[in-house]
Amino acid sequence: MLQNDPVNVAAVRLEKVSFVKDGAGVAAEILREVSFSAGSGEITVIIGPSGGGKSSLIRLINRLAEPSAGTISLAGVDIRSLDPLELRRSVALVPQKPFMFEGSVLANLQRSFLYHQQTPPAAQSGEILECLTLARLEPGLLERDARSLSVGQQQRVSLARALIMRPRVLLLDEPTSALDRRTADALAGTLQDICRSRGLTVILVTHDLRLAERVADHCLYLEAGRILEEGRGAGILSRPATPHLRHFLEEPLHEEVS
Amino acid sequence: MEGQGLVNLELSDLVLAYGLVLISIALARLMRIGQEWQMLWASVRMVVQLVLVGYLLHFIFSVKNPLPVMAVLLVMGAFSLQVIGGRIKRKMPHFYRVAGTSLFIGCGGATFLFSAVIVRSSPWYDPRYLIPLAGMIIGNSMNGATLAAERLAAEMRERREEIETALCLGASGKQASAPSVRTAFRAALLPTVNTMAAMGIVSLPGMMTGQILSGTEPIVAVRYQIAIMCAITGAVSVTAYLILLQGYRYFFSDAQQFLGE
Repeated sequence: MLQNDPVNVAAVRLEKVSFVKDGAGVAAEILREVSFSAGSGEITVIIGPSGGGKSSLIRLINRLAEPSAGTISLAGVDIRSLDPLELRRSVALVPQKPFMFEGSVLANLQRSFLYHQQTPPAAQSGEILECLTLARLEPGLLERDARSLSVGQQQRVSLARALIMRPRVLLLDEPTSALDRRTADALAGTLQDICRSRGLTVILVTHDLRLAERVADHCLYLEAGRILEEGRGAGILSRPATPHLRHFLEEPLHEEVS
Repeated sequence: MEGQGLVNLELSDLVLAYGLVLISIALARLMRIGQEWQMLWASVRMVVQLVLVGYLLHFIFSVKNPLPVMAVLLVMGAFSLQVIGGRIKRKMPHFYRVAGTSLFIGCGGATFLFSAVIVRSSPWYDPRYLIPLAGMIIGNSMNGATLAAERLAAEMRERREEIETALCLGASGKQASAPSVRTAFRAALLPTVNTMAAMGIVSLPGMMTGQILSGTEPIVAVRYQIAIMCAITGAVSVTAYLILLQGYRYFFSDAQQFLGE
């Protein structure tokens, strides 16, 4: 359904996307007229304070939630015209808090195939092993009860579970929040590898400035539902133009889990 | 089924019986649970409601017409729906439509099967059979429906992360909510299954007790009890199944987005 994009078509494009959330009868504006493009095969990093709308934003891209206004397109196609179940396999979201289904790590990795009535890959198949390697997991973990793993390991199983669907776009919400520094650095390397080898487009939401600096091809600063700054590479982090971003960068607790 | 040996209760006997309620109220007062007035009110309601029902049934039995019988069944159904609605604090979306149709099909089907095919009462609407049987079927289904609806909403709330994770892996709303639906169905059936298993040992069921009291051979009463228990089980499971079958859908948008609450 999703053909190879022409070079100049962004993999993901948001145009004036607003999002109003109804909670207990009170409508809260989470995002206001957010527009940006994530280039194909690039890593787009969204940084910003907690409660700024980062997580809500990526939930709109795989259509877990519906924008109140604006358009989101995937390779030039409005996502509303796509089958949402197919969309979510092409645009895989890895939530900040990993959820492990009951059963082994292998069963968790095979899950998406079962939803689509496909035969899941076997334990020693290349597909499974490749995803484990990419997510920096030992093959020995496959038979372990997924819920017995540490949060950091679960976070990586969650990533592998998304990668195995062979998505075209990967949405990551704070992927390093439960990882130690070394694993987080390794994961950053992995992300760059996958982007290159698979032409995967990554949109990554994070507090982790070190990760952002390392991987960003394109960086956005989101505060109070609006994009206040954006630029190529991680340039805006070293040369912030607005007092908001400057203030955000000066705060000491960027690696804190939101 | 003659009333041989059945002692008729006089008004004075009832006054004595009411003394037992007064003892209960006195105990409540002693224990300071602060519910004396509610208990008194409930007991008054019981008396008034039963007397009214007694006269109503007396009237319906005498007119020999299907219309008032059907009307009574509908009122019973509507009332039970309202009871379910009152009992569930956090209702699933479109609660009354979902529960109402499910109750109607589940109980209506079981009652019809029971009276027309199994008992073959004649005339088919014979209120002596239809009304008490439908009452038992609706009463039990009401509990099953409450459990199913309540449990489904609770599971959906608790399993939010699981459901959204499944959606992210390309699951449909139906697939993502399957564990919640299963748990709710199990919860809805549990009391009925337990009752069946304990029947005759832990409890002598009300209908059988009543029939025996009014002079029916225990063997005949037992046969009725078995049949009605089967009808109740069928009605409870069909009602709960229909509630869940329709219910889960309202937790998802057309684009398979989890709506939560």
